Amino acid sequence: MSGGHVKLESLTKRFDEVTAVDEISVEIQPGEFFSLLGPSGCGKTTTLRMVAGFEPPTSGQVQLDGIDVGNWPPHRRNVNTVFQSYALFPFLTVAENVAFGMKYKAVPKSERETRVGEALELVQLSGFEKRRPNQLSGGQQQRVALARALVLRPSVLLLDEPLGALDAKLRRTLQVELGALQEHVGITFLYVTHDQEEALTMSDRLAVMNHGKIAQLGTPEEVYNEPADAYVADFLGVSNLMDARVEPGGNGQGECHVRLGDFILKAEAGQLNATGAVKLAIRPERVQLHSYEASGTNRVPGMVERLVFLGSTTQIFLRLANGSALQTLVRNDGVDLPFSQGTPVSVSLPAEALRVLPDPGVSVAEIRDETLGEDLLDVTSTITS
Amino acid sequence: MGQRQDTHDRRNRGLWIGLALPGAIWLLVLFVAPFYVMLSVAGGGINEFFQTVVPVWNPLHWSSWNLSAVWHDIVGHGAFIGPPAFRTFLYTAIATAITLAIAYPVAYFVSRYGGRRKTLFLVLLIAPFWVSYMMRMLAWIDLLQQGGFFNSALSFFGLPGNTNWLGGKSVTVILGLVYGYIPYVILVLYAFLDRIDQSMLEAARDLGLSRWRTFWHVTIPLSKPAIIAGTFITALPMLGDYFTNQLLSGAPGTTMIGNVIEGQLGAPGETGQGAVLALMLLVVLLIPMTYYVVSTARTSREYA
Amino acid sequence: MASTVGQPTVAPSRAEPVVQRQRRLPGGNPWRRPWGMEGFTWLYIIWSILPIAIAILFSFNKGASQATWQGFSTKWYIGKQVTSVLHNPGLHHAVIQTLVLAVLTTVICVPIGVAFAIGIDRWRSRTSNGLNFLMIFSFVIPELLLAVALFLLVTQALTFIRLGTPAEVAALVVWNISWPAIIVRARLVSIGRSYEEAAADLGASRLGAIRRVLIPLLMPAIFASAVLVFASTVDDFVIVEQLSSTANTQPMSVLIYSNVHGGLSGPALNALATIMLVISLVAALIGFIGYRWMSRGERTKGGAEALTGIAGM
Repeated sequence: MSGGHVKLESLTKRFDEVTAVDEISVEIQPGEFFSLLGPSGCGKTTTLRMVAGFEPPTSGQVQLDGIDVGNWPPHRRNVNTVFQSYALFPFLTVAENVAFGMKYKAVPKSERETRVGEALELVQLSGFEKRRPNQLSGGQQQRVALARALVLRPSVLLLDEPLGALDAKLRRTLQVELGALQEHVGITFLYVTHDQEEALTMSDRLAVMNHGKIAQLGTPEEVYNEPADAYVADFLGVSNLMDARVEPGGNGQGECHVRLGDFILKAEAGQLNATGAVKLAIRPERVQLHSYEASGTNRVPGMVERLVFLGSTTQIFLRLANGSALQTLVRNDGVDLPFSQGTPVSVSLPAEALRVLPDPGVSVAEIRDETLGEDLLDVTSTITS
Repeated sequence: MGQRQDTHDRRNRGLWIGLALPGAIWLLVLFVAPFYVMLSVAGGGINEFFQTVVPVWNPLHWSSWNLSAVWHDIVGHGAFIGPPAFRTFLYTAIATAITLAIAYPVAYFVSRYGGRRKTLFLVLLIAPFWVSYMMRMLAWIDLLQQGGFFNSALSFFGLPGNTNWLGGKSVTVILGLVYGYIPYVILVLYAFLDRIDQSMLEAARDLGLSRWRTFWHVTIPLSKPAIIAGTFITALPMLGDYFTNQLLSGAPGTTMIGNVIEGQLGAPGETGQGAVLALMLLVVLLIPMTYYVVSTARTSREYA
Repeated sequence: MASTVGQPTVAPSRAEPVVQRQRRLPGGNPWRRPWGMEGFTWLYIIWSILPIAIAILFSFNKGASQATWQGFSTKWYIGKQVTSVLHNPGLHHAVIQTLVLAVLTTVICVPIGVAFAIGIDRWRSRTSNGLNFLMIFSFVIPELLLAVALFLLVTQALTFIRLGTPAEVAALVVWNISWPAIIVRARLVSIGRSYEEAAADLGASRLGAIRRVLIPLLMPAIFASAVLVFASTVDDFVIVEQLSSTANTQPMSVLIYSNVHGGLSGPALNALATIMLVISLVAALIGFIGYRWMSRGERTKGGAEALTGIAGM
């Protein structure tokens, strides 16, 4: 199936007084694996539902191959969805589920059966035709949902947290399979997830969403290595965020001097022309530890607060002299670590890895709460209700 | 989610209205309109010659003649409606209390301790639900009649066995009401208690509460909605019941308000007063009924 | 699961003395079966079923007594001239009238109620809320009040609905419409929107999604409500008593009621009641089997759930 070009233009969705999606504009190329990433409540699912046709946009356009389909009903759009709950029809067999949509697409009866067979083969479920959905495991149900959508050869496949209901191990396996499948069929995938690992491993490009807006758009490498703001930095994996102030003296281009408590550090990445309050970000794997007595540039004294053994690595939680919390990862290569709880250390923050990010006007703790999304709130609300 | 669906459904509004329409018309013509007719009859007069009802359709021309006649019968000299009305509420209160006192332990036991025999218990609890009310009353009439099994059993234990249980005994009527309505209450309570999360009770025990305290401080508050629902579904029909009492007693000493309404509607020239009385009962019940309807609607919205 | 009862998994020092005190209490074993409550439950069950069993037994009595067993006989059903159910025109007419009313009411009430439930659930406006309230009111209003109001309606205003079968059916439909409406609505809420959205996504139109996906998913609820409407119509007494006209339009319940004190008494009435019971139980059995079969695609539906399902819970 040719086509598969998606263009969202100033797409907005308001539910009464809540703006779920706020003027987002994205262009997705045919055959691209594109992810929308963000915590729950950020507007990613609403965006997907507008592309699918389950929600009419409040304003803006959803263009599929150049045509604005914003107000078309779902059954007239050449896009198909894999639902988070799979939504497999419990009263139909696997084969009947997969064949469901072909009735409406004028596929001749003779062809339907072969296409069902092909689709099930594609998702490695041949031989399961006669089963009912409740006789399948979660992973198998997910594959049926995929086959049911792919068999119609849509120009765009929409996936709404398709791996969300599966356990971690299965999720890893299916991530790889899903990526390979997308390359094989060449259909545009629009993938919604709150799992940064999924988005980073599978996508060609991704958009990180926050409060109904796109916070950053780019390839996984760009977004991971050069987060545009503190929010993105925090959301994409564990990142160390610190409150700091820019000091005069930097040249505004190659380097920037920042004050972290009593210490002045040099930073060479991020928004080097910033002034005033900023956030500093550094990946845990770039933080280096030295013995307390050792001296060097861009170092801050600190103390080991806790060690967490993770198997191949050990996670070390640190407290810097100015009060900032920091963590780092140390590879376990058979040698005992020279640190334990309470050991004073000298923490080296290499200038080329220290990133200056604009200040969003909120504290580090608030950013962290936000990137955790509504999941935590949901837990508490079920307890109280 | 509610908000989301709103915008979505607006597109197909015509379809939804069309689907709801036949039911809506049926309810308006055969549920709302009848009560307007009842008002018109209550506010109307009678044809003096034939003693038939002459309803008055225009609310502005309604007379209070029937109303004052009924009022006189309730509180005036020789009032014959007051005692049955009082008796109705008394019987209902006692019968509802007994019903809940029996139904709650049974439902609680089956939902929590039914174990592998739960299905058997359920079949036995649901069985009376499928036996018609009339048959269940008939069964008791058989047992309670003079020379019936109940009296024989009493004499066997050396008690007086010649009581006429069906000759106007309040006890018989009240137990008849309990027997008639209890299967519904047990099912409602069971369905509710069965949904209580066991881990909540375990948490209470875990936090150091004894069995009794867990029951008193956790289970009872959790099952409050079910107890309220159970109270309504027994008390409301009992208040309008006339046949239980007619079947098991039939004597004037146990007459309930339902019997009065039924009797007046059938009596020539008194239909209007029967209508007034029925409306009075409706007005009294409107408050608990509205409470029940609103709370039901709220629960169903919470689930949605 | 059960092993955690009463055993603090995280045991702060404060909780411990409490637990110990409990163990020392006489009979304080927290895992003991509540024999008292079990006995009470069995007593209730015996009390609720035994009288009915005796009544059924005596419909097969050879003699006319309801208290002395005189040998087995089916004469009150088919044998006896004039007073058996088969040969007494009044009695067998009542059986037929009950079945006619039950079938007509079910056939009219269920489709209307199901459509009403779907429409109200999706329409979502002030009007639909009002109609929903009205529907629940029809569920809780004492039957006598509704029956009396309907009697006045068909005798004073809408006289084209004649007393007898037409009025009985019209009234039974409005009295029972809340069964399908409430049960189907609850099911609609629990199945959510994703199935319909999936159908629309796969190319089905609005009506197509309702027909091919929603109706099959609602089938257990529709079926359960049909069984309930049928059984509740068989059981109904107040409405049919008020709205029947001649003896020909009196169903079984009315006939039993009017003959209990005098008239056609004796085991023939028990036989009639037993027939009523059999009709209801057959409906219940069909309901149970059908409900299980229709919800076979859903993992969690066990026997207990099917039982409560057809009882409208």
